Amino acid sequence: MNIEEKLSVLNYKTDPTYEHITVNPSICEVCPDNFCTFACPASCYKMIDGKLNFKYEDCVECGTCFVACSHGSVKWTNPKGSQGIKYKLG
Amino acid sequence: MSEFDAIVVGAGPAGTSAASKMASSGLNVLLVERGDPPGSKSVSGGILWGRELSNLYPDWEKSAPLERFISNKVTGFLTEDSYVGIDFKTKKFEREKTGYSVLRTRLDGWMAKKAKEAGATVITGITVDGLAWEDKKVVGIRQADDTITSDVVVLAEGANPRVAIDEGLRAPISDKDVAIGIKQVVKLSEQTINERFNLRNGAGLAAEFSLGFLKNGVMAGGFLYTNKDTISAGVVIDIAGLRKDNKTYSFDIMDQFINHPYIAPYLENGQLQEYSAHLVCEGGINYVPKLYGNGYVIAGDSAGLSFSNGMVIQGMNYAIASGISAAKAAVKCKEKGHYGESDLAYYDELMQHSQAIEDMRKFKGITGVTWSPMIHEFLPKFAENVLHDMFYETGEPKKHLFEIAMENLIGSRYDKKKLLLESYRMMRKM
Repeated sequence: MNIEEKLSVLNYKTDPTYEHITVNPSICEVCPDNFCTFACPASCYKMIDGKLNFKYEDCVECGTCFVACSHGSVKWTNPKGSQGIKYKLG
Repeated sequence: MSEFDAIVVGAGPAGTSAASKMASSGLNVLLVERGDPPGSKSVSGGILWGRELSNLYPDWEKSAPLERFISNKVTGFLTEDSYVGIDFKTKKFEREKTGYSVLRTRLDGWMAKKAKEAGATVITGITVDGLAWEDKKVVGIRQADDTITSDVVVLAEGANPRVAIDEGLRAPISDKDVAIGIKQVVKLSEQTINERFNLRNGAGLAAEFSLGFLKNGVMAGGFLYTNKDTISAGVVIDIAGLRKDNKTYSFDIMDQFINHPYIAPYLENGQLQEYSAHLVCEGGINYVPKLYGNGYVIAGDSAGLSFSNGMVIQGMNYAIASGISAAKAAVKCKEKGHYGESDLAYYDELMQHSQAIEDMRKFKGITGVTWSPMIHEFLPKFAENVLHDMFYETGEPKKHLFEIAMENLIGSRYDKKKLLLESYRMMRKM
């Protein structure tokens, strides 16, 4: 099973109006390591055609990227209300 | 006049314990949880070690949603081809329980219900944006455009404590403070789990491994915990090593672990129920912030209260204990009618003499051992080679164990001076 298939078993209540994590493209553009792409357990950070692509919809709210990014690009907040990941087992 | 005596942020083990204890002592308590229902944002490995819950609910072993009691503890090394381990089983843990496997959505849901029964007001699906301050004192919480006031705020947000960090009540998180935890819960029948792990009558296994097959200084541990009819399989990854390598994906380490030749058969034909991730506090005593201030206290993972020496791993029991201590301090403040910094210092006083802080103080610097190449690179290979050479029949005259060990030590590429230093450190600290 690849990571996309694993994530597909999860329940999310996605907030279409609020991205709880944002990245600063001007910082990511010149990032020497793109460590977020290796660290994020949900593969929300991907390099596509040499550019960083971030997808908040798949986020499992662990906080890894907040620690992983040492360049100050990741701004981390909790999703609003009960939105975001919804675990059944934990 | 505040709306509540106390507001608790977060309905995990720390928050629900604090809320329950305060409410049953007569305080007017609000417990705020962003997940709906409580527990839907929670993840842990997870084994609940110890008996902290009996301080809140004497009948907890009958009423709490516990999966299996642990009667079998495994600690081992996995290399590419081999498994070497200590496999400890005892009937003693059947008679006197030392830990239970749990699934947190269920456990936290139950604990929130108990807090409610004790008299706490529980609101879910509400994300706390920050704290409300007045004259350098915390006077409540902010949520959207709203302020809810209380005499004390208990911050029990978990391992990624947004409010505590944003309000400057604890330092931001660095590489050595946390590890990346990833878990898969795999469904099998109760009978299949009993057969595969040789378990009967509600007994369970807690197994932890150092993943010696990882390369380039990447370090991770793996775990297998049996639940009633599921298995929790996961990894805990050192961030500094992963960053230095900058080639290995965290989720691939999870995959490598569950596909290991001696792990995969346990999970065979199991259906993936859930994939999850969570930061694991690893920073030890240096990562514990000042636990209290004017109008607030910090408990559980938010305060970095967790411990591992490679053999023993603790977190939820510390969270429960810290929640209870926070409640005791709040109750004392209520009696005095004053919740200032010097009054809430009583929480710190209780914590400084708690098992959590005593453990963390005693094992200060343990991550230098648990996250060392000694544990994750040298020892797995060394143990594998020594045992292989001992059991492999060559037809040649046999060697003493000492000879085999020395040959493998000399043959190892590992720096001998470093080895000596790390062995010494391991024996002293573990």
